[in-house]
Amino acid sequence: MPSLIRSRFTLLSVAALTALLTFGLVVLVDPPAADAQKKKILNVAAKEPETLDPHTSILGQTQAIKRFMYRGLTRFAIKDGKVTTAEVQPDLAESWTLSPDGTVWTFKLRKGVQFHKGFGELTAEDVKFSFERQINRVPGTRFGVNLEVIKSIEVVDPHTIQIVLKSFDAIFLLRMVGYQQGYIVSKKAVEKYGEQFKWNPVGTGPFYFERHSPREKIVLKAFDKYHAGRPQIDEVHWFDVPEDATKLIGLEKGTFDVLYPEAVTADFAGQVEKMGAVIDKRGPGQQERFYVNMTKPPFDDIRVRRAFMHAIDRKAIKETMYPGGLARLATSCVPPGYFGHIPMTFPEHDPEKAKKLLAEAGHPNGFTIKNYFISKSFFYPKVLTLAQEQLKKVGIIVELQVVEHATFHENIRKNLDPFVLYGGTRLPDADPWLSLFFDSKEIPDPATGNKGTNFAHYRAIDDLLVAGRLERDVKKRAAVYAEAQKRMERDLVCLPISDVAGQWARNPKRVSTPFDPDYGEFSLHYSYNYPEMLKVLN
Amino acid sequence: MLQYILRRVVVAVPMLFGAMSIVFFAMRILPGDPCVAMMGDQATTEALADCTKNLGLHRPLAVQYVDYLWRSVQLDFGNSLRQGYPVSEYIARMFPHTLVLVLSSAVVAALIGIPIGIVSALKRRSPLIDYPLRIIALLGLSMPVFWLGILLLIVFSLHLNVFPLIGGGDLDGVISMLKNGEAFSSPRDFLAAVGDVLHHLTLPALALGFTLAATVSRLSRSAMLEVISQDYIRTARAKGQVERAVIYKHAFRNMMVPLLTIIGLFVAVALTGTVLTETVFTRPGLGKMLVDAIGARDYPLAQGAITVFTMIIIFVNLTVDMLYAVVDPRITYR
Repeated sequence: MPSLIRSRFTLLSVAALTALLTFGLVVLVDPPAADAQKKKILNVAAKEPETLDPHTSILGQTQAIKRFMYRGLTRFAIKDGKVTTAEVQPDLAESWTLSPDGTVWTFKLRKGVQFHKGFGELTAEDVKFSFERQINRVPGTRFGVNLEVIKSIEVVDPHTIQIVLKSFDAIFLLRMVGYQQGYIVSKKAVEKYGEQFKWNPVGTGPFYFERHSPREKIVLKAFDKYHAGRPQIDEVHWFDVPEDATKLIGLEKGTFDVLYPEAVTADFAGQVEKMGAVIDKRGPGQQERFYVNMTKPPFDDIRVRRAFMHAIDRKAIKETMYPGGLARLATSCVPPGYFGHIPMTFPEHDPEKAKKLLAEAGHPNGFTIKNYFISKSFFYPKVLTLAQEQLKKVGIIVELQVVEHATFHENIRKNLDPFVLYGGTRLPDADPWLSLFFDSKEIPDPATGNKGTNFAHYRAIDDLLVAGRLERDVKKRAAVYAEAQKRMERDLVCLPISDVAGQWARNPKRVSTPFDPDYGEFSLHYSYNYPEMLKVLN
Repeated sequence: MLQYILRRVVVAVPMLFGAMSIVFFAMRILPGDPCVAMMGDQATTEALADCTKNLGLHRPLAVQYVDYLWRSVQLDFGNSLRQGYPVSEYIARMFPHTLVLVLSSAVVAALIGIPIGIVSALKRRSPLIDYPLRIIALLGLSMPVFWLGILLLIVFSLHLNVFPLIGGGDLDGVISMLKNGEAFSSPRDFLAAVGDVLHHLTLPALALGFTLAATVSRLSRSAMLEVISQDYIRTARAKGQVERAVIYKHAFRNMMVPLLTIIGLFVAVALTGTVLTETVFTRPGLGKMLVDAIGARDYPLAQGAITVFTMIIIFVNLTVDMLYAVVDPRITYR
C-alpha cells in the first residue's frame, strides 16, 4: 500500500532527524568539556594571526598574541599600579650600563631564564641572534629598520652582551622593549625549524604554543618555568572570529572571555555595557588623521588646504565615531603619549571662511574630486562619509569609490587620493613617527616603486629629523620636535581627528586584570602588555 | 568502460587547466597587493618591497604563470603567502571539515527531500499532502542558507543555548586519534571528541541540508511522477503486485537514475553552499578558507582551493556517470 510506504519514509526521516537533534542535545547535557571546569581557560575572540614568529608581522592580532609568548630585554614600566609606555624596566636583562660617549650599551642578562619546550636557558647568543637576524634582513623579518642604529653586537659571556651603536640613540632602551624588534627568540629553535619557526614558536614568555587548528583556533599553555612565575591561567584558546557581531554574541553567551574588536563603535560599546562587560582602554592608541598632498593641485595652494581644514568639523567626526570617552580629540600631528608631543593649533571649523578662501584661490564654486578611493574596512568609510558631507557644504565634492582595504593601500601609494585618511601606532617617540610620515624619503612614488607613507609629500622637516636623532640632551631633543610640529602647523599638511585608545572588551565576571580599565595599562601592540597578570575567576 | 573512463579523464585535463588559468589571472586582475593586505596600515616602503620579493611577486606575470603550472603538474601548489603552510597540507587539514559538512547535509537533504518528493508525487494534487509539502519545498528553495543559518544560530545557540556558536569541534583531534590508534585505547575521550564534532555540525548541516532538500524534493517528485506513468508500472499493477512492491521494486529503482544526476549537482551546489555556511557558522573548511584567501590575496591558497573544488566536481560527475551503469543495466559505456 502506498500509505504504508509513505509512513515508512516519513517515519524514517523523522527518526533520523530526531536522532541527530537528540545526539546534539545529549552531547550538550554531558559536556565533553568536563576538563574545562578544572582548567582555567582564557577564551579570546580575535582574528587569526598569520605567523607566530615575533619578528615578521605587523598585523594587530599577531602583535597581540606574540606578547603572550615572547619577552624582550626591557619592558614597559609598571609604576604606581599603572603601565606606562614612557619608561622602561628590566625584563630579560637584569641591568645595563651606557658608555660615556653614549654608543656602547652593556646588558647583564637575568640568570636561569628558560625557553619553552626544553630549548634551554636564555644566553647572550640568543640575544645576538635575535637582533642579527633582523639586521641581516632574514626573509620575512620586518623590524630590522628599527635596529639599524646597531653597529655590532658582542657576546662578552653567556650572560653579558655588549651592543655598539653607530651613534647615540635616544630611544635605544625603547627599541629593546618586548615589542616587535625587541623580542628574543631561541637561536636553537629558529635554526632547527627554519621557515617553519612561524608555527613552532619558542620564546621565554608566560605562555607556550601548543597547537594551531587553521581557521579555528590557537591553543597556548601556561609555561611552568616562566621566570616571573607561572601564570594563573592554564590555557589560552585564541579563536579565529573575524566578525565583531559574532564576537559580541560570544561574549554575551560566555563562549569568549575577552575580545579584540575590529573597531570600537558607539554601538559596540553600548552592547558591551548592556551585557555587563567592560572595555579595557589603552593609550597611546592609534591616531586617525588626514594628510593633505601639498604637491597636487588644487591642494598645492595653501589657501585650499586651509579651506579644507576650516571645512572639516573634527569634533563632530570624533563625537560621531567615538562619543565621550571612547577617544580623545587629537591635539597634534604627534599623538600625546609620544616623546616630543606638543599641542598644535589647527584652523577652526568655519565653513564661511573656507568658502572665502576657496574663492580667493580661484574656486568660487568649489571643485570636485573624482574617484576618491577609500577602504571599506575599519573606520575609513565612516570617517570619510562624515568628512564628505562637511566638505560638500563649502563646495568641495568628493566622489567616493569604496574599495577593498588592500586596494585602498595600493592606490594611496600611487598618489591617487589628494588627501589621505590614515591610522596607526609606532614606538611612542616623535622620531620614528615623524620619520615615517614626514621624512622626504618616505614620499610614495609609483615611478620609483617607493611605497612610503609620507602622503603629504612633505619635505620641510628633514633637517630637524637628522638633528633630533643626534641630540643627547632630552630638553633640546624635545625642542627639535616642537619646532617640527610648528612647521607642520604653518604648512598645514596634516589634520589629526581622533586619538583612539586600544580597546578590548572583557567579561569582568570571568576575567580580572590588576590595572584600571580606563587607561591603566598603556601598550603598543593593541593588547594586554601583561597577559600573565590576567586571572580567570571561577 | 575503461576506455570511456580514460577518455573522460583526458577531457578533464584541459578543463582543469582552464579553471586554473582563469583563477590565476582573475586573482591578479583583482586590485590590491598581497603584501599590503598582509601588512595593513603599518607597512613601510622597505617592508613592502622585501615582502614582494620574498613572495616572488616581483617576477613577470608570465614567469609566475609558467612556474605555477609547472609546480601544479608536480602537485606542488606552493605555500600559503599569508601563513606559510604548504597549500596541499592546508587543504588536507581543511578538507575533512568540509567533507563532513557536505556529507551530513547530504544526509539531511536526502532524508527530508526524497520522502517529501515521493509522497507528494504519489499524492499528486492532494490539497492536504502535496500542496503543503510543495510549499515547504518552495520555502527551502527561497531561503538562502546564510539567512536560515543565522536564524538557527539565534534560536538554538543564542536563546536556547543548546548548540555552540562557532567552530567545528576537535575534528583534528578525532582524526589524529584514529591515526594513532588512540581511538581504541581511550574510547571515552574519542567518543567525547566525536560527540563534540557532531554537536558543532548539527546546525550547519541542518541549515545547508534544508536548503538543499528543497531541490532534492522537487527533482525526486518529478522523477517519481515520470516513472509511475510508465508502461511497466501499469504492467506491474496489472500483474496484481501489491502497491508496495510496485513502488519499491519497480518505481524507486528507476527513479534513481535522475536522482543520481541530482547527487552530482548536489555536490557542486553544496560546495558553493559551504562557502556561506562555513562563514556564517565560523567553521573551518575549504569554503571559508577560499573566501579568506581571496580577501587576503593569498594567491597560492586560492588557486589551490579552486583547483581542488574543480577536481572534486569533475570526479563526482564521472562517478555519477559510472553509477548510471550500475543502477540501470541498459546503460553501457564504450
